[in-house]
Amino acid sequence: MFEVLEHTADIGFRLRAPTPEELFARAAEALVSLGFESEGIEERQSCELAATGWDWESLMVNWLSEVLYVLDARRLLLKRFEVTRISPEAVAGRGYGEPWNPERHRAKLIIKGVTYHQLVVEQRPEGWYAQVILDI
Amino acid sequence: MQIIALDEYRFRIPRDERRGMRTDVIVYASQALIDQIRKDQSLEQAMNVATLPGIVGVSLAMPDIHQGYGFPIGGVAATDIESGVVSPGGVGFDINCGVRLVRTNLTQDEVRPRLREVVNQLFRDIPCGTGSEGPIRLSNAQLDEVLVHGARWAVKQGYGVERDAEFAEEGGCLPGADPDKVSSKAKERGRPQLGTVGSGNHFLEVQWVEQIHDEEAARAMGLQLNQITVLIHCGSRGLGHQVCTDYLAEMGAAMKRYNITLPDRQLACVPIQSPEGQAYLAAMRASANFAWANRQVILHFLRGSLEKLFGRDVRVDLIYDVAHNIAKEETHTVDGQKRRVLVHRKGATRAFPPGHRDIPAAYRSIGQPVLIPGSMGTASWVLVGAERAMQETFGSVCHGAGRLLSRTAARKGRNAREVQERLEQQGILVRSETRDGILEEVPEAYKNVDEVIEVVHAAGLARKVARLRPMAVIKG
Repeated sequence: MFEVLEHTADIGFRLRAPTPEELFARAAEALVSLGFESEGIEERQSCELAATGWDWESLMVNWLSEVLYVLDARRLLLKRFEVTRISPEAVAGRGYGEPWNPERHRAKLIIKGVTYHQLVVEQRPEGWYAQVILDI
Repeated sequence: MQIIALDEYRFRIPRDERRGMRTDVIVYASQALIDQIRKDQSLEQAMNVATLPGIVGVSLAMPDIHQGYGFPIGGVAATDIESGVVSPGGVGFDINCGVRLVRTNLTQDEVRPRLREVVNQLFRDIPCGTGSEGPIRLSNAQLDEVLVHGARWAVKQGYGVERDAEFAEEGGCLPGADPDKVSSKAKERGRPQLGTVGSGNHFLEVQWVEQIHDEEAARAMGLQLNQITVLIHCGSRGLGHQVCTDYLAEMGAAMKRYNITLPDRQLACVPIQSPEGQAYLAAMRASANFAWANRQVILHFLRGSLEKLFGRDVRVDLIYDVAHNIAKEETHTVDGQKRRVLVHRKGATRAFPPGHRDIPAAYRSIGQPVLIPGSMGTASWVLVGAERAMQETFGSVCHGAGRLLSRTAARKGRNAREVQERLEQQGILVRSETRDGILEEVPEAYKNVDEVIEVVHAAGLARKVARLRPMAVIKG
């Protein structure tokens, strides 16, 4: 579960997870569910995803940007994610969903990009934490 | 925060307000607007912009300023072309998001009785909404031509007439675009999206001319009371979004090499003359050209829709097309010296004064047309650029009414059907792909556009020409 952040021109989310793998997987799910009604998406196919960065923050931006690219260019709606390998420089995993069908999948908003604005990705005593603002 | 009122419409935040600021911030606003502006972080963001290496003059904030990411929306900053930086965040994800205004030979009396028919026809012919794809299928080579030639490519392919390109900012084509600097991912996203409006605050609006404030300028633009105009607001779609994403990632990594540290990572920038800076600018220009081609193709679809409804005699002429998310190399006089600068306009519109050589000959005596869309229930404005914009703001003014409420707050407690009915009672039909598309853009979510316009008019940055009232809006 994640918390939606209000921002004058944009939208964002905040979430917590026990591991970085979980944090990145849940962040990708949060991104998709802000753009679409994700309940109607069925897991019919999967897609490999990978991104690189130079710290946890840039890794998160590049990972979520990869999900956006798959959505917009390949028109693949992914609802569930698994992260199989992660370090502050690289993340790899898989997304599960189905081809985007405008008849069945209701879009909520277009996400233009993942920003560095007020971005936080860090390990805290109680677990991993992320705050991400999206440009819409 | 120390904000000094310079006069009724100008406020200054001095550079010593915060460590790292290389220059002052000047805000154009009324007292009422500045009180609103102070409620979000937009002024802190304008102060962050003042820390950019090579910034020339001051960091500027327009009266429609609101909180963005990195740059505020409604922000203008010029950087020295030799020693300054370029920041993709100073352009935004939607490169060359802009506005195109067309006039018709139809009047309100002719269109109002058939308004629902008009809305439905436009909604059928012009792809709107999340993930919308257009009917044009481009090969790789054709897409590269779009990226190099912009609106001129569209006109050459028959999606418009010769004069259309002439009446767009830069003739609808920025030179120096390089398709090889646009990633294959960006091209993959953009290829099916030419001729589509998209979603969010992008729309197509049928309007009527409600007020004329400057007869001479209105005549030059062919505007008359009660005439029907159409405003098209959209940008470079997924292609531009991906270009911004790609270069933000590249610049974030490159900044260390150039010893640049900034208060906000979204301001990521590199020297203009660096390989990364030049590559971004070549890709940004290509994206800007995609956006001009996009608005040109939409104009072509619009002509088709209106001809189907009103016959072949209907005339649909482009008045002008402006970019409001862009960085452009221009010459400006700063402290008495001519300087070559890169002007970042993030949610700001170029507003060159009368006599400027970059304005089409038909408008040179009145100044560059400036098109300011309001919210869907209020009004849009046509202005012309004035001399003080050249002296004070690198020839720039505001770009819209400016958001007041977040999208979540706009949705709260409102019902889309009720909003639609309320607008219908005011003579405005709205058709949107989504319910949220209506709720998030309710008039209350925006500042009062008339108040914003009054500031730029009274400050001498631009002059009022005409006020346009919406009759029908289609959006994603």
